[in-house]
Amino acid sequence: MNGTTTAPASPATLLDPAEHWHHRLAWLSTVDHKRIGVLYLLTGLFFFVVGGLEALVLRVQLAVPKNHFLQPDTFNQLFTMHGTTMIFLVVIPVGLGFVNYFLPLQIGARDMAFPRLNAFGFWLIPFGGILLHFSVLAGGAPAVGWFSYAPLSETPYSSTLGVDYWAVALFVLGIGSVATAINIIATVICRRAPGMTMRRLPLFTWINFVNAFMIILALPVLNAGLAMLLIDRQLEGHFFLPFHGGSAVLWQHIFWAFGHPEVYIMVFPAFGIVSEVIPVFSRKPIFGYAFVAASSVAIAVLSMGVWGHHMFTVGMGRAANSFFAISSLLIAIPTGVKVLNWTATMIGGRLRFDVPMLFCIAFLIQFLLAGITGISHAVVPLDWQTKNSYFLVAHFHFVAVGAIVFAFFAAVYFWFPKMSGRMLSERLGKWTFWLMVIGFNMTFIIQHFLGLLGMPRRVFTYPNLPHWGWMNMLSTVGVLFMAAAALFLVWNLAVSFFRGKIAGDNPWNAWTLEWATTSPPPHENFHALPPIRSRRPLWDIANPDRPDPVVGENTSEIESPDKTKTGILTFIVSEAAFFAILLLAYLYFYARPQPGPGPRELDVPRTLVFSLCLFASSFTLWRSEIALGRQRRGSMLGWLVLTITLGGVFLVGQGMEYWKLFQTGVDVSTNLFATSFFTLTGFHGLHVFLGLVALLIFLWLAWRGDFAPGRSSAFEAAGYYWHFVDIVWVFVLLTVYILPLAR
Amino acid sequence: MTTYEFLTTTWRWSFLLLLFCALALVGYFLAFRRRGRLAYLGGALAVFLFALISPVSALADGYLFSAHMVQHILLVLIVPAFLLLSLPRSFSLPRPFTALTHPLIGWMAGVGAMWLWHVPALCNAATTSSAISVIQTTSLLLMGSAFWWQVLAPRDAQRLSPAAGIAYLFTACTACSVLGIILTFAPVSICPVYQQPVDRLGILSSIRGQWGLTSERDQQIGGLLMWVPMCLIYLTAILAQLARWHSGPHPEKSNA
Repeated sequence: MNGTTTAPASPATLLDPAEHWHHRLAWLSTVDHKRIGVLYLLTGLFFFVVGGLEALVLRVQLAVPKNHFLQPDTFNQLFTMHGTTMIFLVVIPVGLGFVNYFLPLQIGARDMAFPRLNAFGFWLIPFGGILLHFSVLAGGAPAVGWFSYAPLSETPYSSTLGVDYWAVALFVLGIGSVATAINIIATVICRRAPGMTMRRLPLFTWINFVNAFMIILALPVLNAGLAMLLIDRQLEGHFFLPFHGGSAVLWQHIFWAFGHPEVYIMVFPAFGIVSEVIPVFSRKPIFGYAFVAASSVAIAVLSMGVWGHHMFTVGMGRAANSFFAISSLLIAIPTGVKVLNWTATMIGGRLRFDVPMLFCIAFLIQFLLAGITGISHAVVPLDWQTKNSYFLVAHFHFVAVGAIVFAFFAAVYFWFPKMSGRMLSERLGKWTFWLMVIGFNMTFIIQHFLGLLGMPRRVFTYPNLPHWGWMNMLSTVGVLFMAAAALFLVWNLAVSFFRGKIAGDNPWNAWTLEWATTSPPPHENFHALPPIRSRRPLWDIANPDRPDPVVGENTSEIESPDKTKTGILTFIVSEAAFFAILLLAYLYFYARPQPGPGPRELDVPRTLVFSLCLFASSFTLWRSEIALGRQRRGSMLGWLVLTITLGGVFLVGQGMEYWKLFQTGVDVSTNLFATSFFTLTGFHGLHVFLGLVALLIFLWLAWRGDFAPGRSSAFEAAGYYWHFVDIVWVFVLLTVYILPLAR
Repeated sequence: MTTYEFLTTTWRWSFLLLLFCALALVGYFLAFRRRGRLAYLGGALAVFLFALISPVSALADGYLFSAHMVQHILLVLIVPAFLLLSLPRSFSLPRPFTALTHPLIGWMAGVGAMWLWHVPALCNAATTSSAISVIQTTSLLLMGSAFWWQVLAPRDAQRLSPAAGIAYLFTACTACSVLGIILTFAPVSICPVYQQPVDRLGILSSIRGQWGLTSERDQQIGGLLMWVPMCLIYLTAILAQLARWHSGPHPEKSNA
């Protein structure tokens, strides 16, 4: 803690060759949050290069009018892959990577709450990336855009497997993000060091904590939509196919109900980074901590209800447009509050213009511009004119690159010393910075004007209209500057990793806990933690005569609930979001009946009987938990067996229902009732089945006598999940079976 | 009837309502004397009267579903909130009511008030029968009060902790948003009375023509009102919880 530096002991000197080999191989099997964080960042960097090269090729095609460098279909494939890669394989992994590495350090934790779940969440990213890119070998990459609008994404219009791989890949990536988000929430709630109360959390941690809630609510919405799309494509369902009564607009609703929170999911890690870097390089605490923290919550809540502004041009009607316009304008308020906070932090500070700060200042200016053009898209008439033009392309690249990538660059320069023990070169960093600023603004500022001149987006080439040629050429030249900047970054990383200046524990004189340990931190993160009474524990140590005022009650006691229960409750919230979408989709089509079979085909009395079995199983499981609490093993096993039997009986009942429908020739592809019915009840049945598997595992464990006193929390957590599955069935039963009786 | 005439002549001054408000005011004075917070009570009564005597009420009475929704939101969210805020800190619920202060009951009351009264049969009945309408109004006020008690009870100890309060409000917001989404996208009328209004005031042609409110668009606006502005009310309450949390105990400087 005294700031002296000991070079980390090289494993090569301590280990024999076999152990050394294992130590290196252990990167593949690691559950250490720091290594996983690095893996996230490297994966993100790799795909950043891939997506960047795709962008470069796209811009070369667009450099001159009437260009035939790329075939139209190749262009579409590349621009789909560019968007999907940058969003799901770059921005999300890099954000999660920084969170993975630094969030546990910032709260003084030893690791994430669930280290193995953490590794699982990470490995889904390369897996998803491979699935996505495998499409190239399986008949061609998807060519439908990252938004994959129906009905273009449906089989009649995209007959190769590209869209299927796209959908499966995103499904997998979504599961990975949700797993990591659950981990983040459980870590922050259950793994804080003594004294690190929720009100003392560093802003990076707080903002990403809020972000995790957005992830668990928004990603399941996408996954529900992807499941429906896959059912359409693989099982001949009809959800999004208009000529069978499906709704292409429904896809847009589902996609943007995910897609708008997704914008904030991507930008929140950037907000967190900027909220850490600007105070350190202004030598002042953040101005208005509570406002930055609370405005994050406001943005998170609002972001769920503003997706309609992506659909003004779809024809939702004037009423819906007006409401979404207002709510979209409102979201500018908490965002503006943040910008004011960051700016006010700099005012009167002793600014240090190191590379991280330079990137943050550029972030502020560019994010402000992104926000202004963003607000213009909340204004319906203006949106009508500019939505499908390059104006919008410029806008969202100002968010995605001007804000997010710039903040990530800041984070790389800020935290690389902590991760590697060595400083990045300031000189190369300034080259990267200026090339990036020049290249980025050259590429994207001009695109606003291109859009206002009427150049549509998503086109593979364009006619030689006045000014379009030189503007596009300028834009393409800018990309070359950005590519050079990326090369400088990679070069800097490679050189500095081996030959950079030794960093020491706290090279920037920062104040949060990650700087209280060695660089890189030891496996267990901290040998000893400083006392935590404020938001800047390291300031308090360095300035004992004028410490920060104590935040909240002067105590080092913190509540840390059971992590298993916290994790499972969080998981239940995300499952609830998934089922909510399936239920709403069912209702949507129920209200628009199609010819063919309908709810009348269903056997209500029999289903009620089987439902009673399922509801009874919640009761028996509860009895089993009580028996476990009283240490009565036989009774616990008996009730558990009964629970599993009742659950099994329910599944048999569902099977009978399905069998009868199949007998009368009703399957997923019959009509929309059948499609939505089988999807909803099928996913519920799948969850019952998985619950049964979990209970069987518990039965086995209990049989072996594994449940020592005080080890029952996992069993209770499984119980929560089982009860949740039953509650979902209450809603399914009411919607699918009872509601038609009221007609 | 033109819009101007409509806005000026359809205030439904009801002696009973005014008497009720006057009695409420007198009762409040007798109970709390000067300990009460009169401004909040005034707010509650003003919003209450506005909801029930202004042209909004005339429109909600069989013409416009969206006007009904405005009334509904005012009665279930705004009036009870002001009422609870007007209570002095010393106020305690009489014994039999304390059972109603369980958070689950409060949540069910708040969300149930939204869902229950939009069951088509009940929504229709409340619009056509004045007796049921009175029951509806009363129940909305009571359920709204039960909901807000968890957040706005007079003493801090009676309220949920800020974190629990945020979860309480956010889930309620979600549950109501889902109903709003269903109303917005429903192709059938949720409350069929509003489809073919009986034109007692001669305003229907203005509504359909000049205001451009077809019955479909009307229901859409109603759904959107429940979806978007109502969530903003919950959001405001969430922000208030955060403010309360961050303004929590500040120890003396000397402790540091």
